[in-house]
Amino acid sequence: MFYAGCDVGSLTAEAVIMEDGRLRSWAILPVGARTEESAYSVMQQALKEAGLTMDGLALICATGYGRKNIPFAQFNLSEISCHGMGAHWCDPSIRAVIDVGGQDCKAICLDRQGRAVDFVMNDKCAAGTGRSLEILARAINLGLEDLGPVSLKSRHPVRITNRCSIFMELEVLQHYYGGRKIRDIARGINHAVAKRVAFLAQSLDMAPGFALTGGVSKNAGVAKSLEKILGVRFRPLKVDPQLMGALGAAVHAGVKAGVKDS
Amino acid sequence: MDIFDEIRFIARKTQNPYLKEARSAGQKIMGYLCSYVPEEILHAAGFIPYRLRTVESLGTEKGDLYYSALNCSFVRHCFDKAVRGDFDFLDGVIFFNGCDHSRRMYDNWRDLYRERQAGPGFLHMLIAPHKISQTALNRYTDELSKLVRALEESFGLKITDQKLHNSICLYNEKRSLLAQLFAMRKGEKVPLTGAESIRLVLALSAVPVEKAVSLLEKMIDACQDRNVAKPGDLRLFMAGGCMEEADHMQLIEDQGAVVVADNLCLGARSVHTPIEEDLPPVPAIARRYLTHLSCPRMVNDFYSRSHYFEETIRDFSVDAVITDKLMFCDLWGGEAFLLKSEARRLGIPILTLEREMHGGGAGQVQTRVQAFFEKIANLTQDDA
Ligand code: SF4
Repeated sequence: MFYAGCDVGSLTAEAVIMEDGRLRSWAILPVGARTEESAYSVMQQALKEAGLTMDGLALICATGYGRKNIPFAQFNLSEISCHGMGAHWCDPSIRAVIDVGGQDCKAICLDRQGRAVDFVMNDKCAAGTGRSLEILARAINLGLEDLGPVSLKSRHPVRITNRCSIFMELEVLQHYYGGRKIRDIARGINHAVAKRVAFLAQSLDMAPGFALTGGVSKNAGVAKSLEKILGVRFRPLKVDPQLMGALGAAVHAGVKAGVKDS
Repeated sequence: MDIFDEIRFIARKTQNPYLKEARSAGQKIMGYLCSYVPEEILHAAGFIPYRLRTVESLGTEKGDLYYSALNCSFVRHCFDKAVRGDFDFLDGVIFFNGCDHSRRMYDNWRDLYRERQAGPGFLHMLIAPHKISQTALNRYTDELSKLVRALEESFGLKITDQKLHNSICLYNEKRSLLAQLFAMRKGEKVPLTGAESIRLVLALSAVPVEKAVSLLEKMIDACQDRNVAKPGDLRLFMAGGCMEEADHMQLIEDQGAVVVADNLCLGARSVHTPIEEDLPPVPAIARRYLTHLSCPRMVNDFYSRSHYFEETIRDFSVDAVITDKLMFCDLWGGEAFLLKSEARRLGIPILTLEREMHGGGAGQVQTRVQAFFEKIANLTQDDA
């Protein structure tokens, strides 16, 4: 039986198609102005990859900010439930997920079945999100994707003390014009953002078995700092961490459709 | 127009036809700010009490000239409307030291009046103690007598005990009808949603009390066999300060819940505790307003609030609690923290939300609330 998950976020849309507990295909696209269109295109791409049509899918679960506006999905679940389930599918020993996305970051506690039993989400500020990393990277003329690798070469990281991303930017510019090395500032940025995420995660009682998901998990600098601050090691995921929401949604669809080992 | 449409219509407007009609018949309207200002006294003085509201607000730009962005958005929106002249139809405003942000509105409004003669000239600051005790009660009784005198002197009228008694009976009737309606939410069939109940209280605080009583009677009739709870809906307790955005409440309920009980300013707080009708009126009014279901401004009354919390959770079969505070509201910040530990003690799931009034952010609220409900479902499912 085929079933699918579709995640339409604020920046990207993802679709995952599974067949009886196995991953069949996936797709990632930048979102357009309309949720519905983005959802259709990303699903069509994943379907094409799997050699299927929409009729071949037994059940589709939607997630992400656009989840309520995806007409072909039979039900929807929050990103929190889906990210947790996606990580659990990759590695059932995972009990704690830290998801740092473009606009928000979340810490999620899972039970043995991968169901979310507790969570926190940033609401005070954007300082622990991909968007703030992007702004800070731009301030020192680095691309978002370079921030991680460059920062890993640093030996004397700068210290960024402000908590608000706007003030962080001013502090970064000060270091930049003060002639500090780019790699040291990059490391300072990653560490400062990791601190904000860790601060949020520490408000939950998280059991060992950590995973990092969402776009920012691709930044090795942030990941390393987070591991250090939290005193944990992130378990590697066998699927692109950006797909976790759609993957989790697909797994939930499988469970609902009665697929064993979904 | 059925009763629900009528309530919706009144709730989303600053003014309504009943007010306009009363005004053209020569009646005066007195604005007030908080659930601690006794409507009975205003009514006995011949006014229609009108609770200041932020509906139809165009923003906070004008209010921000007087307030800072770190002030509560309720008072900023409210005062913005005052600056724009939306409340010019009032004959006076009674302010209250509920918190510092709202207390400031008195100073700001006086400035506004002095500079531009905008709004009514009668502006009165009512002070209530932040504690409940015999001394506090005496103090508050004095404050109410001062209010009585101020109204009498400024408007050349006499507020007799007989008039106060009549008003007390009328408002007791209104409270008891509302209490009756809210008690109907105890059962499996829930006759009205949380969003509808906000609209109702908002509407009732903007029409003559006699009209409010008849609207309530119609509402109770319409609610007899009504059930808004969908199968699987969680029964929710909402706690928070000013919440006029019925749509925000609706959004929360749309995630799979129905609000059955609350401690909201525009909610349960306005139905509890009648005024004793056979006591001297001013002390009786003071007693009721000082000891009714309190707002967190009453610093030594958490015990009663938590008692109410526990009892309500049991009596209304509540499944989950959401506290919803406005940004920079320290009073509700502290309360949410205390309620969290109460909820933990009682083993009931709780979610804490924070928002700016009319601030949007629907996506974030939706995700948080939906995930909260999913988490409850996960916690109550058997470990298969
Ligand atoms: S919500 Fe809080 S800050 Fe705003 S008026 Fe009420 S008590 Fe004051």
